[in-house]
Amino acid sequence: MNNSLRALRAQRDWSQGDLAERLDVSRQTINAIETGKYDPSLPLAFRIARLFRQPIESIFEPGKD
Amino acid sequence: MTRLTARQYGRRSTAAMVVYVSVMLLVWPQVRSATDLPAKVLLALVPVLPMLYVVWLMARRILGSDELEQRTHLIGLGAATGVSAVFSLICGFLGAARVFELDSIAMLLLWVFPLQMFSYGTVRWWAARRYGSDAGCSDEGGLPAYLRFLIAGTLLALTALWGWSHAMDSTGLGLLAGMAATLLLFALIFGVRRWRRRGEPRAES
Repeated sequence: MNNSLRALRAQRDWSQGDLAERLDVSRQTINAIETGKYDPSLPLAFRIARLFRQPIESIFEPGKD
Repeated sequence: MTRLTARQYGRRSTAAMVVYVSVMLLVWPQVRSATDLPAKVLLALVPVLPMLYVVWLMARRILGSDELEQRTHLIGLGAATGVSAVFSLICGFLGAARVFELDSIAMLLLWVFPLQMFSYGTVRWWAARRYGSDAGCSDEGGLPAYLRFLIAGTLLALTALWGWSHAMDSTGLGLLAGMAATLLLFALIFGVRRWRRRGEPRAES
């Protein structure tokens, strides 16, 4: 799955640590999502969408598989 | 549940390990000389208390983890359960076949918990690396990982030296020396790894 989390975070000038704190997850989790190594659960994806005030499908899009 | 930071977890589990080693050195040797059965049982089970505290700390840490951390904990615990189950099964069969003496089987059973913790730590570290993090071996707990291993290994080596000068039994001495050597080997591996990575850019924080 691809996502635009890094770009959205950069727009707000937040570090990975700042975003992790806002979402109540670890910085490593943010890093894993941004690099595409981990796909978040639906509840976390909704929290991300709510935080950035955008629909989930505009942040996450399915990859090739 | 409040999240236990790596530093808090490290400090508390280190304190528990210090208590455990102290109990093994000062209290446990008196087990064989105790004649009263309740006192013998009590003395024999004293080392279990700090281990129970470590298990409780681990449970607290896992429950306070986020979803990715819980996944890596689950992978580590699953692999550790498999390794310790196979080890116990092998020891059980060899014991039942009278390949080992009863004393040797008891000593092997003492290794089930450390083996489980070692497998859990190693597999979790490997799983976390696959997701781009260093898990418990990162430097976020304060001291660099190699320094933590170096301190723990040196402390155990000093304890082994103390035991040697105080005529400690060969099993305990071997156990301490083996653990010290293992930790110092880890310190060397992580030290070399850190030295080789000194030129690489650090992860974003």
